[in-house]
Amino acid sequence: MKIAVCVKRVPDSETRVKIAPDGRSLDEAGVKFILNPYDEFAVEEALRRRETAGAGEVVVISLGPPQAQETIRTALAMGADRGVLLQTERIPLDGLEVARLLAAELRDGGYDLILFGKMAIDDYNHQVGPMVAELLDLPCVTGVSRLEIAGGTGTAEREVEGAVEVMEFPLPAVLTADKGLNEPRYPALKGIMAAKKKPLEVKPVSPGAGGLEPVAMTLPPERQAGRIVGEGPAAVPELVRLLREEAKVL
Amino acid sequence: MSDVLAVLEQRDGALRKVSHEVVTGARRLADGLGGAVEALAIGAGAVAGADALGRFGADRVVTLVHPALGRYAPEAYARAVAERAAAGGYGALVFAASATGKDLAPRVAARLGVALAQDVTDVAVEAGVVAVVRPVYAGKALLTLRVTSRPAVVSLRPNVFTPVERPRAAAAATAALGGDAGRVAVREIRAAPAGALDVAEAPIVVSGGRGLKEPANFRLLEELARAFGGRAAVGASRAVVDAGWRPHADQVGQTGKTVSPTLYIAVGISGAIQHLAGMRTSKVIVAINRDKDAPIFKVADYGIVGDLFEIVPRLTEEIKKLQSA
Amino acid sequence: MIVPAAYQPPLPLDRLLVPLGAPGAGDRMELDVLIVGAGPAGLACAIELARLAERAGRELAIGVLEKAGALGEHSLSGAVVNPRAFRELFPGLPDAEFPFRGPVAKERVYLLTARRAIALPTPPTMHNAGNYVASLCEIVRWLGARAEAAGVNVFTGFPAAALLVEGARVAGVRTAASGLDRDGRPLAGYAAPTDLTARVTALAEGTRGMLAQAWLEWQGVRAANPQIFALGVKEIWETKRPLDAVLHTLGWPLPRDVFGGSFVYPLERHLVALGLVVGLDYRDADLDVHELLQRLKGHPLLSRLLAGGELVEWGAKTIPEGGYYAVPPRRSGDGVVLLGDAAGFVDVPSLKGIHYAMQSGIYAARAIFAALAADAPGAAALAEYDRLVDASFIMRDLYRTRNMRLAFKGGLYAGALKAGLMTLTGGRFPGRRIAVEPDAAVPRRPPGPRAAAPLVPDGRLTFSKVDGVFRSGNTTRDTIPSHLVTVADVPPAVAAFYARMCPAGVYEATPAGLRINAPNCVDCKATDVLGPRWTPREGGSGPRYRRM
Repeated sequence: MKIAVCVKRVPDSETRVKIAPDGRSLDEAGVKFILNPYDEFAVEEALRRRETAGAGEVVVISLGPPQAQETIRTALAMGADRGVLLQTERIPLDGLEVARLLAAELRDGGYDLILFGKMAIDDYNHQVGPMVAELLDLPCVTGVSRLEIAGGTGTAEREVEGAVEVMEFPLPAVLTADKGLNEPRYPALKGIMAAKKKPLEVKPVSPGAGGLEPVAMTLPPERQAGRIVGEGPAAVPELVRLLREEAKVL
Repeated sequence: MSDVLAVLEQRDGALRKVSHEVVTGARRLADGLGGAVEALAIGAGAVAGADALGRFGADRVVTLVHPALGRYAPEAYARAVAERAAAGGYGALVFAASATGKDLAPRVAARLGVALAQDVTDVAVEAGVVAVVRPVYAGKALLTLRVTSRPAVVSLRPNVFTPVERPRAAAAATAALGGDAGRVAVREIRAAPAGALDVAEAPIVVSGGRGLKEPANFRLLEELARAFGGRAAVGASRAVVDAGWRPHADQVGQTGKTVSPTLYIAVGISGAIQHLAGMRTSKVIVAINRDKDAPIFKVADYGIVGDLFEIVPRLTEEIKKLQSA
Repeated sequence: MIVPAAYQPPLPLDRLLVPLGAPGAGDRMELDVLIVGAGPAGLACAIELARLAERAGRELAIGVLEKAGALGEHSLSGAVVNPRAFRELFPGLPDAEFPFRGPVAKERVYLLTARRAIALPTPPTMHNAGNYVASLCEIVRWLGARAEAAGVNVFTGFPAAALLVEGARVAGVRTAASGLDRDGRPLAGYAAPTDLTARVTALAEGTRGMLAQAWLEWQGVRAANPQIFALGVKEIWETKRPLDAVLHTLGWPLPRDVFGGSFVYPLERHLVALGLVVGLDYRDADLDVHELLQRLKGHPLLSRLLAGGELVEWGAKTIPEGGYYAVPPRRSGDGVVLLGDAAGFVDVPSLKGIHYAMQSGIYAARAIFAALAADAPGAAALAEYDRLVDASFIMRDLYRTRNMRLAFKGGLYAGALKAGLMTLTGGRFPGRRIAVEPDAAVPRRPPGPRAAAPLVPDGRLTFSKVDGVFRSGNTTRDTIPSHLVTVADVPPAVAAFYARMCPAGVYEATPAGLRINAPNCVDCKATDVLGPRWTPREGGSGPRYRRM
């Protein structure tokens, strides 16, 4: 089974956000970068599918700066076979530009499955996976929390509000992974060592400008100071009134 | 002068309420672009509630009908919306950033070869260009963007664009859709497992801390949660989860969950940073604690100081009264 | 009186020393040299070894095990760094390229009272001209990148939990398992321990290293004095007011019979590292270093600097303070060497340890390389490491100040007097070794009726321990098994002592007994010195320091 997994290097979720001097982006000084957690589900799923099939190849592809090689190496340490870095200093804000570059790399790969994480924890964009599918004219299911493959057909479950949709689709296909799909493995020591020797190709690319222009990045407004409504149970009716009429949450 | 296409969402033949928010957002954009709002529904037949969209500002409501498209079929829906968009010369397309909307909008944008601003919390038109605001880094920052491609495709974060009454004619039309359902088909839809709402999903969270003194006292919070009529979940601080009083799945903050409900009620929780980090983006925070110096009061919008064992039952009573009113 | 030693379990040697080949490991890896700990000592050793190997045209498989999830995350120091070890390790690089924040331009020492700050002349031992303010985290990340570029394998997220031994030889280490639940049962992501064998193992675990302790006890290697420790609690603040001088303070709010002081260093004009360091031989059972630091910030000297600023990081770590007489007579053996803080190479009067750590790593690398080249990594060949250290500035410096910290065992003023005499006489008077007992053997007075009311943190200038732990970046899995080993019955007074001692709020004295919030632990090791024993836990647990 030949599987491609697209991964992204993202700031750790615990990052304290500081705005860069340009007023439009994150100040990266001291920020720790990791493999996007949703992409870990995708990598793990690819490894399991290859293991189940008994043979195959898992290729990890990323669009990003030179340091994204480390991110790819993390996936290689988990067990992927080789990596490709589409190298660019600036990751476009426009997901379609990202999708175009990835699609160009994926097009002739002969992949049975192309996996993504459903979203990146920095931009929450939720779009590159299905856009790549459209560009490659492949079937696609997003937010997959359960997957079964039998022969050339796949069955995927995805959560929608208050329900679970069970989707059926033919392979080859594009899927984006959600939490719950699997438990990603920790790289073993041997895997970390082996990853250094696995092939990692670096290809410089030039993303288009795209259709989204950043105007400003700001911190959310500080919560306004609240107030103590009163003491003891006698204050409850007033609280409820305020929640209804002022805060409008009841 | 450009019209705006509002892409509606239906389930089982009835319009989902989030569609009102979509039309509201579309109306705001249409006013800025100087055009009309066309609301678009896709289904196997008439969609209940679609004709009422004039209330929120829809000038036209179009329902595209196909026997196999009662349920979401990504490829067919994407094709239908993209074809309509390509033909109609819209200035903007508006989706809900629901599970379905976040799936459909990227496909449509890719088909049209344009950018998508996903999950936005504000939209405006400045000098004829659509501008949006999106939370990034888990809401720790807000990014303002101009959408320079046309049509501007955006999806709206649910529960943010409070529906506004802007009555319009809403001329209704129906048309048949050709083609098939596509390669990806919904084989079945299962209801989510019955049982308590997950703290991360519930619109109202009632959370308890060590002030409750004993695990059995959490029933006070469970009663309060029930009084909200199925919309509330019971959460817990790390301290009580560590003590084994509540399951880890209920933990709010630190390595438990981050929640962002409309209403968060913290009972007997002091408000250490690790708990606050989990619930600070809640829309409205209420704190009940006997210690007036507890840090939680600095973060809460409203607070009551006193004995929670007296206050919580009173609150439950008042909420029940409200619900039955 | 509470004697902490009475409630401490012994070092669990049966867990820390595992015979080579014993079952329990899922996988095995062989290396030429294994270094435990990616701190300045371990990384300097790795870099020097890699360089020696490259120059000789030899291939050496060098692995560094680090328990933190990423380089630097468990590293914490003031710090003002003497650059000499950097110059020795990187002779081609100018100072400007080293990972320092800035040269020490101005420095001041103050004696504090509750409201005043009396400027003192800087003691000769503390002159920092030519030294640099730095973040140890940044140093470690910088060294780590160079180690990896030189072909060293740095494995983060892998704590060494036991020594693998064969006869009297150290054959390698066994790592800790990961993915166990609170009751020790494997979860879905369970990963078994791995055995790493090597011809030489370098223990560079830092302060109160478990394996170093185990080896010393096992081999009966005893220093003249037991090692003693101080606990430092540190914060990093983004300030509205600038700071352009390195500050040290003595006196308030420390009680008179306590050794310690504070440091305030500018990483940038508006980024300040400040901390309070207190000897763990303090006499009052309710002394709480974290709380004292919070009080210290209320002093006008500091509150003015910090007003309107923001606490961005918090952390804690112990420092070995025994000096010359607490350094073991040999730090090498069959298949093993001890580096850096784990060997006690810290000079308290000048508050320096980083350059000693790195230098010890460099010497160890040279001895190891020669031993491997001669195909004889036994005790005799590795003793060359001890000879190099003993003949170097490391031991010369430590000898000169050999009694200075120990002099303070009698309290601040008597100690200052003795220390002054020592400085004036170049260490010759008072010269004979001052004997000390281990910190745990020092009796503690229970709090009296006049004990001060506990500080209520205001959340702006002062913070609770839980808030501190959050700011350490600690997101340890809540369901992790407890890694702390206690005795069976801990009386309430002792539980209260632990609760005050631990800066991270791991211990609580409740009516139901001692409560242990193990996930809070930031690996400072104070508990190992005075309370329940610390053992390694799942890799990636603990703090995630960024610029400490």
